[in-house]
Amino acid sequence: MELYLGIDIGSVSTNLVMLDPLGEPYLAPLYLRTQGQPIAALQRGLAIIRDQLGKGDLVCGVGTTGSARQLAGVLVGADVVKNEISAHAVAALRILPEARTVIEIGGQDSKIIILRDGIVVDFAMNTVCAAGTGSFLDQQAFRLNIPIDEFGALAGQACTPVRIAGRCTVFAESDMVHKQQMGHTLPDIVAGLCEAMVRNYLNNVGKSKDVAPPIVFQGGVAANQGMRAAFEKALQAEVVVPRYYNVMGAYGAALLARDQTQRRAGTGFRGWQVSTMPFQQRSFECKACPNACEVIEIKQEREVLARWGDRCGRWGVTGAEADQAVQQH
Amino acid sequence: MKITYPHMGNLYIAIRALLLKLGLDPVLPPPTSRKTALLGVRHAPEFACFPLKLNLGNFLEAREMGADTVLMGGGIGPCRFGYYAEVQREILADLGVSMEMVVLEPPSGDWVTFKTRTRSLVGDCSWWQVLKAIRFAWYKARAVDALESKLLYLRPRLCEPLQLEAIYREALRRVDMAENRRGLDLAVSDFLKDTRGLPGKSGDLLRVGLVGEIFTVLDPYANYDIERHLGLLGVEVTRSIFLSEWINEHLFGGLFHVGGLDHLKEAASPYLNAFVGGHGRETVGATVHFARQGYDGVVQVAPFTCMPEIVAHSVLPAVTRDHGIPTLSFYLDEQSGVAGIVTRLEAFVDLLEARRKKRLKEGV
Amino acid sequence: MIKVGIPRSLLYYSYFPLWRAFFTEMGAEVVVSPETNKAILDAGLRSALDETCLPVKLFFGHVLALTGSVDYLLVPRLISVEPKAYICPKFMGLPDMLRARIPNLPPLIDVAVDFSRGTGNWENVLSSMGRLLAGDRRLIRQACRSAQAAQSLFQEQLEKGWLLPEALNGAAGERGTERPAPPSPGSGRLNIALLGHDYNIYDEYISMNLIKRLRSMGARVATADLVSQAVIDEQAGTLPKKLFWTLGKKMIGAAFAFCDSGQFDGIIYVSSFGCGPESLVGELLARWVKRRRGIPFMLLTIDEHSGAAGLVTRLEAFTDMLLRREKG
Repeated sequence: MELYLGIDIGSVSTNLVMLDPLGEPYLAPLYLRTQGQPIAALQRGLAIIRDQLGKGDLVCGVGTTGSARQLAGVLVGADVVKNEISAHAVAALRILPEARTVIEIGGQDSKIIILRDGIVVDFAMNTVCAAGTGSFLDQQAFRLNIPIDEFGALAGQACTPVRIAGRCTVFAESDMVHKQQMGHTLPDIVAGLCEAMVRNYLNNVGKSKDVAPPIVFQGGVAANQGMRAAFEKALQAEVVVPRYYNVMGAYGAALLARDQTQRRAGTGFRGWQVSTMPFQQRSFECKACPNACEVIEIKQEREVLARWGDRCGRWGVTGAEADQAVQQH
Repeated sequence: MKITYPHMGNLYIAIRALLLKLGLDPVLPPPTSRKTALLGVRHAPEFACFPLKLNLGNFLEAREMGADTVLMGGGIGPCRFGYYAEVQREILADLGVSMEMVVLEPPSGDWVTFKTRTRSLVGDCSWWQVLKAIRFAWYKARAVDALESKLLYLRPRLCEPLQLEAIYREALRRVDMAENRRGLDLAVSDFLKDTRGLPGKSGDLLRVGLVGEIFTVLDPYANYDIERHLGLLGVEVTRSIFLSEWINEHLFGGLFHVGGLDHLKEAASPYLNAFVGGHGRETVGATVHFARQGYDGVVQVAPFTCMPEIVAHSVLPAVTRDHGIPTLSFYLDEQSGVAGIVTRLEAFVDLLEARRKKRLKEGV
Repeated sequence: MIKVGIPRSLLYYSYFPLWRAFFTEMGAEVVVSPETNKAILDAGLRSALDETCLPVKLFFGHVLALTGSVDYLLVPRLISVEPKAYICPKFMGLPDMLRARIPNLPPLIDVAVDFSRGTGNWENVLSSMGRLLAGDRRLIRQACRSAQAAQSLFQEQLEKGWLLPEALNGAAGERGTERPAPPSPGSGRLNIALLGHDYNIYDEYISMNLIKRLRSMGARVATADLVSQAVIDEQAGTLPKKLFWTLGKKMIGAAFAFCDSGQFDGIIYVSSFGCGPESLVGELLARWVKRRRGIPFMLLTIDEHSGAAGLVTRLEAFTDMLLRREKG
């Protein structure tokens, strides 16, 4: 079978999705923790996928996205390297072609994407800090001693959600502690936290955006029933959580790779051996001029695969060139 | 007197020329870097604007190189820039750094103060010499503008943008070194000649206007190289304001009669029909102007908490509503992350491309 | 009767007696938005740009509280109320920001107030406003006189030691009548100078009842309104460069006057999150106060997320410190 691989490497998770030529998931999508080691996470993911493939299966296109999209693109030989906003939009439109709003809340960032007639007309990403993202929710669940999976169900039991203030994690946390000390019930606090996160999201990322249904809610936080309910309450509209809500970036990247390679035959995929190759990543400060750029270098044994981060291009393989190299591969 | 001054993009070239022609001994601080930003942030008020912090870092680095005097611009408000020098002077004093601040205020009718202040700076130079120095600095600024606008035009059009940038840096160096107008003209014309033969790409380009607060528009460190990122994504960037226009307005008191910014005020009037400090009104006007010229989008840049640009940003949704031009705003400070900026720029370019395709389809 | 809405926000605290008297005399009904509450704040947070400062967000909230129930909304374009000084860029763009972001606004009375060039005065501004309401010339002139009388009574009361909300009520009541002696400014052992823009320190919701809390902690509270304009001008005139923000000038002039009086145990400066001029004025003031007198100085930054618990902790710590200093 001709297959298309999408890879999304973010600061929290590394996701892989393998699609068939019709754009449907061929294998169960993978959701792995990045744990600060994007290369290792990627290799682990590739190995798991490789072991599930049959004899006639062939990778015909690869797309990468996420904050480590460039790195991942160089390592695997991607046909498309795409920012996560566009990748998420593509995936949401695949699931719900008439979608007009995409809410995406991941591990360390959140976005809103406004769609009209199947194209992106506006978007925003969180600007200030991690308040209202998955990491914050995880941290609070841990502090309240609730397994994160039960968090949403607990919120559903609330009678009067408490009001929790807080622009940033530190303030929100201290306000929550205060509310606990005042004797509010756990479900009310949890539901209050969800409502505060939704309020912050709509006042920050969603500010002045034309939020209209149908609304798709994706990203790791979409698993949380409490958050979904809080969004539905605040927006007075149904909120759709897609089946593969936590790997939508990778899904979108795979779809983009499929479109790209079907238009332009041939893939740059470097093969499954990537999962076992030794790569080294390092960064250094360039001393050539007082700009002191921080250069990142990726090596495969002795060979330099890519370098980026310098403003003058002195280090040869810059971001743009690496992208071009990827596309010419 | 060893005199230093803050960086703002390529402003250093014009100011160095001015000071040298006045017979002064300029000390150019190292290019603004992470170290500069850290120094500035450590000593400046938390919510002061980013340029104030970067300036302060520049002064402290220049101090290490032996500078004892600072040349700063001033202003009469309401934008905070007009009071930067006062705040910086107090901070330096509390740090025990003895540096004299010389502030060039726009004359605003008070020519006597302006003259005595300038006199303290220029010493024995005759007014004729001063005028000649100003004129030469002006030509340098114009030469820098010529190089920069050509760079913005060519970067998305050439197969090898990095080669272009190398040629540009060399041309900039020659403009900086030039001792007379002939040298300047030659540096510019050689740049045009050298870039003519470079292999180009074909295809329709997206065009984006860059608007906003002047420091963040002009300074690549402060704006995290936004022009370059856009250029490498294949977008032609046009600035709403260039160095020479700012110098003329703020340092030379409008001495040179160049096409002013009146047409921008006019364009802004349905949305923001009043001066709001800084270039807030021009930001709105330029956005309208770019929309009328058929540009695909507008990027606004401003320091975090910048008042005039916040006013401008507040009314931009109305411009988008009427003119259909998408805008993207960035508030920049030491905490902005380059990854987030690049992701937004890429998504913005995707958005603009999709819009253009859709329009073409509908046009057919 | 025509209803003119006045948002209880920003320069309401400085000019309400003037505006109220003028429009009432013109035959209009003046409607003021309710005192700040959670709903007003939330509405402001939703509609104003996220990057703007707390007071402007709050102003949006007060405007929204009036939209739909008034015929006109008073939102003067406040550029400058004295020569060579401004309020701030956001005040200058208020009408434009509202129009771009709030649908179905009633017509704005957005006459520009610009005395920066030394020309222009309230009489001209009020006359323009009156013409918008299509008042005849004699009526306008009469209304101007009443307005200015009300405003000067208000100023007088402030300088006599009335706290601003008390004077606002006084001037809003029976005009011209003498009021009984002003209530005592608190009878505690500590003398505290409370500095901050009027719309921050006198908005009980936003300041979390700061003044009452200080008084209940046994402090006598003085604000910049006690200091006459002449003294403020004189004190602020000692700066190496003239400060071009009217409100910042008032803070600095008053702080210097308080320092010089030698009567104060501490200075508390309230600043709102995102305020541009304050980011520099607060910094300069902290440095100058320290150098001049060494009077203890505390900066309180308030934002929409501040909790009262944090405020009380800080106030208590500050007053405890002052009391210990007094003993030592």
